[in-house]
Amino acid sequence: MDKFKIIRKIMHNVYLAKIDNTSIIVTKSKYSSHYGERKILEYREWVASRSKLAAMLLNGHYININPSWRILYLGAASGTTVSHLSDIVEHGYIYAIEISPKPFLKFLSLAKERPNIIPILEDASKPWKYSGIVEKVDFVYQDIAQKNQIEIFLENVKLFLKRGGQGLIMVKARSIDSTEEPQKVFRQVIKELESKLNILKHGDLEPYHKDHIFVHVQN
Amino acid sequence: MRWKTWFGVIEKTNDEVKLVKSRDFVESFLNSSNDPNTLPIPFSIKDVGLSLFKNEKEYYATLRDLAIKLTEEKIKQELSKDDKYVIMLLKTLDALNEVINVLSEKLRDLKNIKITDICSELDSRINDLTKLRKNVELEIKKIMERIAPNLTNIVGASIAARLLEKAGSLEKLAKMPASTIQLLGAEKSLYKAISRIKKGKPAKIPKHGVIFQHPFIRFLPKRKRGKMARFLASKIAIAVKLDYFSCEKRLDLFKVIKNKYESLRRL
Repeated sequence: MDKFKIIRKIMHNVYLAKIDNTSIIVTKSKYSSHYGERKILEYREWVASRSKLAAMLLNGHYININPSWRILYLGAASGTTVSHLSDIVEHGYIYAIEISPKPFLKFLSLAKERPNIIPILEDASKPWKYSGIVEKVDFVYQDIAQKNQIEIFLENVKLFLKRGGQGLIMVKARSIDSTEEPQKVFRQVIKELESKLNILKHGDLEPYHKDHIFVHVQN
Repeated sequence: MRWKTWFGVIEKTNDEVKLVKSRDFVESFLNSSNDPNTLPIPFSIKDVGLSLFKNEKEYYATLRDLAIKLTEEKIKQELSKDDKYVIMLLKTLDALNEVINVLSEKLRDLKNIKITDICSELDSRINDLTKLRKNVELEIKKIMERIAPNLTNIVGASIAARLLEKAGSLEKLAKMPASTIQLLGAEKSLYKAISRIKKGKPAKIPKHGVIFQHPFIRFLPKRKRGKMARFLASKIAIAVKLDYFSCEKRLDLFKVIKNKYESLRRL
């Protein structure tokens, strides 16, 4: 076994750890590996280059996810990030939306294993389609590389986020405008979000994800 | 106001909220879309739906079982058919093209000899077929954009569909190396060249197959086409892999290709 040491707790079931002197994020989990990540004792490594949320935590931007939250997750793909969120919200539920059937097939194996995940194969840009399924949630998370991702996020926030609820959005400059300077795109995005929501924090995800920022908001 | 949910229909008049339980949860789950103008629903649907279940746990367990079962069916449906459907559409399109050409030719010959009612009837049939061809093309475009957005973005729907047809399925195309993609559709001349090389004769090895139809290759002078074809094929390989294994749309691929084309043209 490599030298593995828990440094400190970040939030419920999430820890900052060290392995061979490299900092990593881990979540305490009773389940086995989902996307090829290492499982060390009862911890699953949260790989920062695979999950933008892990990159954000590793960069020292902490948010406090309550273990009983209801979460709406837009762009679940094959479930890399959702698997860790599912470790965190032990007493909560995750509504996971994804449009593409191929990665969702893998996601389904995760959803079957974990009782707190509700998979929905729908287009997140058409939230009315699942308006009869998703309840009001405490947290909206979005990771969709789409040109109109801000519009999609705001629409979902409007329909499903409780007053006072929080949101986290991962913005990819290259998919909003591939020719424009990323910094300029980000300023534009923040301005757009600011007009509807309170911005709690934003920052980049270097070096794990290039030309990305996260924006943490509150309704 | 009236909203459809996965557990039934909720009706709200003034301050009274009425719930009619669905007789079949599968049916109501599949039919739970609401008119955007009636949204957002001013309360959490779970709070209303809870009354139908013993407790919260049962509410979620029922919902989750439904969601997993129906999503699984939906995935199977969407995955199994689409690429095969496009390939069949493309074959239909080819057949239509052939028929339209042959019939147009016959019509012209007929008109040269004698103009009769048959000629006008034939004319209108050909027109119908042309409309049908247009619709088939549009359908191919629509599906290609859905199942292979990156590929369609860089080569256009018709070349994308043609590559898919040659490969047999999206999965097979995604697992092909760029060099194979470059020569898809040029098998005949490739094997001819190989057999000539084996015999020690001079041979012309093809530089491009289906992708020759791409304007960035076609509009270049002959000696630069090989270079462009190689480059384009490598980007196609990346695009298909993105389409098949991930769901992310990468708009920068087209830009890279365009830059390469322009630098080659200027040389």
